[in-house]
Amino acid sequence: MAQQNIPLTERPTGFEGPFTTRQLLRLDEAMRLADKSTGLVFSIYVGGLDEPSRETAKKLHGELADPANSVLIAVSPNERVLEIVTGSAARKRLPDRACKLAALSMTAAFGGGDLAGGLVSGLAQLADHAGRF
Amino acid sequence: MSIIETLVVFAGIPLAVVAVIFGLVYAGGGRSDRRYRPGRPFDFAPVWFLSAPEAQHDAASNGHAALTGANRMALTKAEAQVDAAPGEPIGDVTGGASDRW
Repeated sequence: MAQQNIPLTERPTGFEGPFTTRQLLRLDEAMRLADKSTGLVFSIYVGGLDEPSRETAKKLHGELADPANSVLIAVSPNERVLEIVTGSAARKRLPDRACKLAALSMTAAFGGGDLAGGLVSGLAQLADHAGRF
Repeated sequence: MSIIETLVVFAGIPLAVVAVIFGLVYAGGGRSDRRYRPGRPFDFAPVWFLSAPEAQHDAASNGHAALTGANRMALTKAEAQVDAAPGEPIGDVTGGASDRW
């Protein structure tokens, strides 16, 4: 699991990452749609989450440019942990209940081995619940 | 028909058909190495996607700025803000959900 936490020095092509090109395109499209329709900033992190995973995810969320309006979806496929972190302004539109629902459907997809599909449908659910900008 | 002909017709043709179908099935590449199977170790480089990186990003970055300079600028900008405001600002509570599978 240590090889996941490689330093972020060089620019990755994304090809050593967990997604194929087609999946990357789908994810990009889904995130752009979610951002545009809700006005919130969605962000997806796929990688290791050191214990405690919730705190690590919150720390990552805090590193974003606009944490209050951001939603971070952090997935660790090897530790099998999903964390959704909503900023202080974002959580007014996306209550924890809605996040939990989306998390449930996403983990159902992840359990079947479908990372990209789970993320895309989870994004659609969250964007749908957050309502229009 | 001679023995050779019999052999070719009744053994060679089915074998050829099997070989063709085998080739078609596995010519796709057998994408099992990329597939995520929960519980099995899955090697990959971590990625962090933002859909719309902030204004100052280099022209070469792609749509999903996976860990490029834009994110690093975002990181340094956030760090500067954190340094400027010591102590937890009121109302800076995050929400969300966690789950496992």
